[in-house]
Amino acid sequence: MKAKPYWNPYLAGVALGLVLLSAYLVAGSGLGATALPKRSLALVGDQVAPEWTAQNTMLKGYVAGGANPMRNWLVFEVVGVVLGGFLGALSAGRLATKVEKGPSISVRGRLAYALAGGVIMGFAAALAKGCTSGQALSGGAVLATGSWIFMLMVFGGGYAVAYFVRRQWT
Amino acid sequence: MTGTLFPLTFASEEVRLLTGIVIGFLFGFVLERGGFGNARKLAAQFYLNDMTVFKVMFTAILVAMVGLFSLSALGLADLSLMWINPTFIPAQAVGGFLLGVGFIMSGLCPGTAVVSMVSGRIDAWVTFLGIVLGIALFTLTVDWLPGLGALYAAGSGEVSLLHEVFGVPAMAMVVGIVAVATLAFVGAEKVEAFFQGRRPPVELTPPARPRLKLAVGGSLAVVALAVLAVSGPRPEMPPVRMASVAPLSLAQAIIEREPGILVLDLRSDPEGEKGIPGAAPAAGEEGALEILGVTPPRTVVVVYDESGILTEVPLGWPRSLEYRFLEGGMEGWREDVLTPVALWGNTLEEREWVRKQNQIAAFFSGAAVQASPVAAPPPAMSAGGGAPQRRAGGC
Repeated sequence: MKAKPYWNPYLAGVALGLVLLSAYLVAGSGLGATALPKRSLALVGDQVAPEWTAQNTMLKGYVAGGANPMRNWLVFEVVGVVLGGFLGALSAGRLATKVEKGPSISVRGRLAYALAGGVIMGFAAALAKGCTSGQALSGGAVLATGSWIFMLMVFGGGYAVAYFVRRQWT
Repeated sequence: MTGTLFPLTFASEEVRLLTGIVIGFLFGFVLERGGFGNARKLAAQFYLNDMTVFKVMFTAILVAMVGLFSLSALGLADLSLMWINPTFIPAQAVGGFLLGVGFIMSGLCPGTAVVSMVSGRIDAWVTFLGIVLGIALFTLTVDWLPGLGALYAAGSGEVSLLHEVFGVPAMAMVVGIVAVATLAFVGAEKVEAFFQGRRPPVELTPPARPRLKLAVGGSLAVVALAVLAVSGPRPEMPPVRMASVAPLSLAQAIIEREPGILVLDLRSDPEGEKGIPGAAPAAGEEGALEILGVTPPRTVVVVYDESGILTEVPLGWPRSLEYRFLEGGMEGWREDVLTPVALWGNTLEEREWVRKQNQIAAFFSGAAVQASPVAAPPPAMSAGGGAPQRRAGGC
């Protein structure tokens, strides 16, 4: 099956905006992505080292008062993203086991960049208390001041470094 | 309850959690169909030959923003019941920059990595592994590296909104952002067209439909302007300063049982030390609200804390009441009212004043004073559940 083209970006944006709006109206919360890995760590930490977890700056809020860290709207929302992303790719004929990369980089080189970039992003999303979805998109729509600063800095960081990693993509 | 329709309330938390799966499903589906499951398409944003990331993201922000603030201005949605990212500017600035660096290295961000993973992309699985490792790295080092912990916690941690920072009505800010973003879309198309001369767009990108952005931006601006016209600009109410009342005047009023006065004890530990006789102990600001909610209109409310630092009417207190603060707070009361004055004075008037003063002191230091000018209101009846709280959230 030949893959379908992507949606027009403005129509995709309207659809994404309506999804984000419904998240706020239905659940009183924006969208997110890193809640699942963060709260999974809290779950593991609570099993392995409960006292340490209860005092860790990053994790203590997730297990405070004996709460189950996975009993959270954003965790369920990410489960939905897994299902929706899969069905989106399947129905558009875009399911494929492959590595996305530019023509002039090896698979190993691309995966090394992917791993390093992932580590930096995980660290950054933990520090900033949110990622592109939770801060820039969700916080941006409610005019949260810090989220707009975050968003400008994401674009700033990307443009600042893009030239040095261009071998990967072009 | 506040009476707004949104955010919805659910019979149980389980039902609310299930809505997460539905909304997340739509989120993942739209991201995939928009092209956000493809690292090359996302990375092209930073080489200027495919600005899909910017267009999709900003269109989404505009739609959700216009929807939320319109419903809020029309009284249908209560933003204060929604979780809004608190402001920690240093952490958000540094974290944002680093996230941008990681974004261009991996070609993905956390949410799009999930979509790309389930589309079968191996680079996305590796990126997601990296994200988990990165979060673990931060978790392990935040309490160990003093600078990191300080950076994480720096900032007010309060909810700050852009229109408050700029001092304009919310809907005016919304209209302004719609206008600027629509112009930016036009600019992005021009930049894109220029750089596509050197690097073609990523495959599967649909042909441009030039009028669409103006249609989207224009209709959002019309909606926002219509709401602005209907609801009118609602400037934030400036803080109201309270008039003051001297301890002796209050003492006089209590002795003479003047009607229409309520004395409110705002000290953090009203049980700890005996306060002013007849004062209603308010356990914190919420306790005060419960009492004020059942106080008849036009009552004069005299508030006091330990030293009289509260001089502005807190936000949310009913405007139907008159507020006074006690000069010097409890300390002032102790000094002026409870302490007898050593007998001195030459003139008759001065002696008379001292005598009166000491009568008052005797009255209040004396054993039994039970009468209060206004009976302390009955314990407030709450209609089920505590006060609504902001829901916990996060990314």
